[in-house]
Amino acid sequence: MLPGTIGLVMATEAVKLLLDVGEPLIGRLIMYDALSMKFRELKVNRDKNCPICGEEPRITELISDYVEFCELDHSEPLATAAD
Amino acid sequence: MKSTGQIIEEVKKEIPEVSVEEAQKEKAEGGDNVVLLDVRDEDEYRAGYIPDAVHVTRGMLEFSIEDEVPDRDKRVIVYCAAGMRSLLAAKSLKELGYTDSVSMAGGYRDWSAAGLPTAKDKTMTPDQLERYSRHFMLTEVGERGQSKLLEAKVLLVGAGGLGSPAGLYLAATGVGTLGVVDSDVVDLSNLQRQILHRTETVGNPKAESAAETIASLNPDVNVVPYNMRLSEDNIIDLFNEYDLVVDGCDNFATRYLVNDAAVLTDTPIVHGSIFQFEGQATVLKPHDGPCYRCMYPTPPPPGMVPG
Repeated sequence: MLPGTIGLVMATEAVKLLLDVGEPLIGRLIMYDALSMKFRELKVNRDKNCPICGEEPRITELISDYVEFCELDHSEPLATAAD
Repeated sequence: MKSTGQIIEEVKKEIPEVSVEEAQKEKAEGGDNVVLLDVRDEDEYRAGYIPDAVHVTRGMLEFSIEDEVPDRDKRVIVYCAAGMRSLLAAKSLKELGYTDSVSMAGGYRDWSAAGLPTAKDKTMTPDQLERYSRHFMLTEVGERGQSKLLEAKVLLVGAGGLGSPAGLYLAATGVGTLGVVDSDVVDLSNLQRQILHRTETVGNPKAESAAETIASLNPDVNVVPYNMRLSEDNIIDLFNEYDLVVDGCDNFATRYLVNDAAVLTDTPIVHGSIFQFEGQATVLKPHDGPCYRCMYPTPPPPGMVPG
């Protein structure tokens, strides 16, 4: 049942974006806990050092293998892993 | 008793009129500071309207104007078909406390005769007018919003736990094109939560099972099943076809792939994920807000179960 709640938040946001109405969930992360039936909201910011959407993007095309990327040991900084 | 002509003459003394050319110039120069208010009936509006006009029928004026034009000191140019009802509507606005409302003489008739720009929404069928009638009562949607939805193209990444409810509602709402990409087949154990699929479609590709359910819910939706795995080779072309991506995928590799492709193609993502009894959702709009990498620069250690 839990995915229904989140899925409908997603559908609602999609329609809001398409109609350009209301306040979209941009820069805000909604966190839902079904057991306590609580919604929390977390503010999320852009990272100016983001490797793809930051000021100096290092990723300018898709990387070659996303499965491999997710299996790498990321104790090293991302820049090394992504490059 | 006064005749209609007498009433109009009296109102004309009280309410200023502008010509269609003056109205156009004011709107062009004033932008958001000037409201063009269309007070004609739904069917007249449907046949064509002035771009950027706000539409509130004469009958609903007193009830809806405050939602549409909250600032009572705003310049409001009212128009109807020929300039009579707009005079009376402007008078009603004045009585409601609007300080600067005028009527456009000659109305939409003279506007279009003068060759000034007009717009027309996609014509809806009688079935569509009935199906979406509840949306028309919402000023945020209305017929114009519904037309936008019918022309919109949304791609569902994953037809599972999140994609199912999202896809069903988007279909019911009347999103005109829904792409469904999923490489999986329906399993009996999916059915307690993946409500796009049914007992009869167990064993079938999820993309096709989803397409069948959506088609039976709303024949207006052009549903495009993609029975394939999203990859570095196909994702960019696919995203270029859609306005928006609803990402309900179930693995981190796809999530980063979707994010990167969305940033590179400037496609907004509605993101959601779940794990056991917790879930989260956000909107990732490239260059407007954070992307998935801004939030999660590195994937979790291998072996962790994603939502």
